[in-house]
Amino acid sequence: MRPIFRVARATFHEAWRRRFLNGILIFAILIIGSSWAFAYLQPGAELQMVIDIGLGSIRFFGMLIAVFLGTRLVPDEIELRTIHTILAKPVSRAQFLFGKYLGGVGTLAANMLLMGAAFYVVFAIKAPQFLAEKPEDAMIVAAMYSNIAKAILLTFFEVFLILGIAVVAATLFSWVLSVIFTFVFYFVGHMSDFFQQLSDPERGASKIAQIVMGALYRILPHFEIFDIREAILMGTYTPWSVMFKTIGEGVAYLVVVLLIGYLVFNEREV
Amino acid sequence: MLLFVSNVRRLGHTLHTDGRCWIIGLAIETEKLSKIYTHDANGQPVGLIDLSLVVEEGQIFGLLGPNGSGKTTTLKLLLGLIFPTAGRGQVFGQPLGSNTYKQRIGFLPEGPYFYEHLNGVELLQFYGSLFGMGGSALSARIEELLKLVGMWDRRFIRVRDYSRGMRQRIGVAQALINDPDLLFLDELTSGLDPIGVVDMHHLLTDLRDMGKTLFVCSHLLKDMEPLCDRVIILNRGKECRTGTVDELLRVADQVRLVLSNWSDELKTRLATSAADCEVADKQLICHFQDQSQALAAATIAVEAGAVIEDLGARRRTLEEVFIEAVGGEEPCDQSSE
Repeated sequence: MRPIFRVARATFHEAWRRRFLNGILIFAILIIGSSWAFAYLQPGAELQMVIDIGLGSIRFFGMLIAVFLGTRLVPDEIELRTIHTILAKPVSRAQFLFGKYLGGVGTLAANMLLMGAAFYVVFAIKAPQFLAEKPEDAMIVAAMYSNIAKAILLTFFEVFLILGIAVVAATLFSWVLSVIFTFVFYFVGHMSDFFQQLSDPERGASKIAQIVMGALYRILPHFEIFDIREAILMGTYTPWSVMFKTIGEGVAYLVVVLLIGYLVFNEREV
Repeated sequence: MLLFVSNVRRLGHTLHTDGRCWIIGLAIETEKLSKIYTHDANGQPVGLIDLSLVVEEGQIFGLLGPNGSGKTTTLKLLLGLIFPTAGRGQVFGQPLGSNTYKQRIGFLPEGPYFYEHLNGVELLQFYGSLFGMGGSALSARIEELLKLVGMWDRRFIRVRDYSRGMRQRIGVAQALINDPDLLFLDELTSGLDPIGVVDMHHLLTDLRDMGKTLFVCSHLLKDMEPLCDRVIILNRGKECRTGTVDELLRVADQVRLVLSNWSDELKTRLATSAADCEVADKQLICHFQDQSQALAAATIAVEAGAVIEDLGARRRTLEEVFIEAVGGEEPCDQSSE
């Protein structure tokens, strides 16, 4: 286990020196901070505007960081040949790959925490102003605090899954192709309900459509389940059972993805 | 398998069988190890072809060859970074790529690359930790190595600010971090100034004296000649020459007589019986086809007042052997072996 954490630690420290990723983080925090100003464009729904922009930014920029970080983690080691001195030590390919992924998770988590903290600051400033105008919504706002934390937690697991897909894609394809693949996977993964509908025989799906669309529905990750912004905006409570089920699905999918990555990387020449 | 057994007999080592077998006393052994990347326009394979070699523990083994001859491919195969297309190999009795033997080896790649954001101490801490090293033992080892490679005063400089020579020195330190029994060194003296080259040569001989096995890839033949116990010359992926340095440099059945204080008359006399005579550094060097001719010539020379500086088997330089081996159009001039 020790080599995994050593590789992860080195990856974490090295990732913070990537200016492009730092640029995305700074831009994300600026957007989240400016949601406070954007909120005035929609009088009466300022708090909803802050939540929508804030959580949406965390998801979007978290996804961007996951894709651009994940697709560079292993290829950079191969191109710069730093991998040679590491794999010549008693470090297995599985330990190396998982260490790189774990280092990416640490980097991503730190980025997400910073974005989440920026969002909470804006929300904490805006919420009392909203309550002063609508004191009857105190219960809804109170539920929002915990729901926002849950939403950010789900986003963590969503971007960790995207990171895993990006890392594995980069072991299979060139950098450009792996970036495109991960983006397509992400966006198509948001359409999994659509594939389910297209495979529904009650909606007139043919046999072939049932098989093909049904398979796509089962194979693709269901990214939309990580998005609970609507529930937050409606003020409805998101139970922990739903949270655990969603996280469980994400982790199970991630394990399969990393296993595929290991099988591919184990045969890859460096 | 036959090759393995014959080597056991030749070396007098023990063959152990417990379902598998390995040979004690051999650091590296390959049998028809091949890595074919592609084929050229003439349909000839490009890569490494049928390499069979044996490296005994405690040897300095030189893998020599021009660029593209398959030296780095051989190293990568032995380290498990790439996989053979045919043949097999073992390091310390373990199959290629096994983590077990990696505990006992060190590796210095050519033009080594490291994490740029680390300084010398952090870099060695990272590599040491991959061996499970830590605490005061690792700190002491790092200090020892940094002093050994002349980097102690520069230990807090980040790798990104290193010169090529400094990278090479820290590369040697990381290769030695685990006190390995076997060292793979790819172009060890690359990027080093003359003092650095001498330092590294001393280091190599010190390591050999400590019983380490050294597997050195190089195209700097003058550096390798006095250091290596045994060499293989590769050309276009094929083994051209193999043997001890002495075996390769000796010219079969020829004897060399080196004289000083010689005269033109003596030179004319000796030239009649010698295969060839030449003058170098004011010395007369004559080569004879057999020992009796050389002894007769030596007697004549002494009687003529010349001083015998050397009398023995004729030797070539490794450079001459190398050029002869790789100079032809064919990948290897096997006929001259």
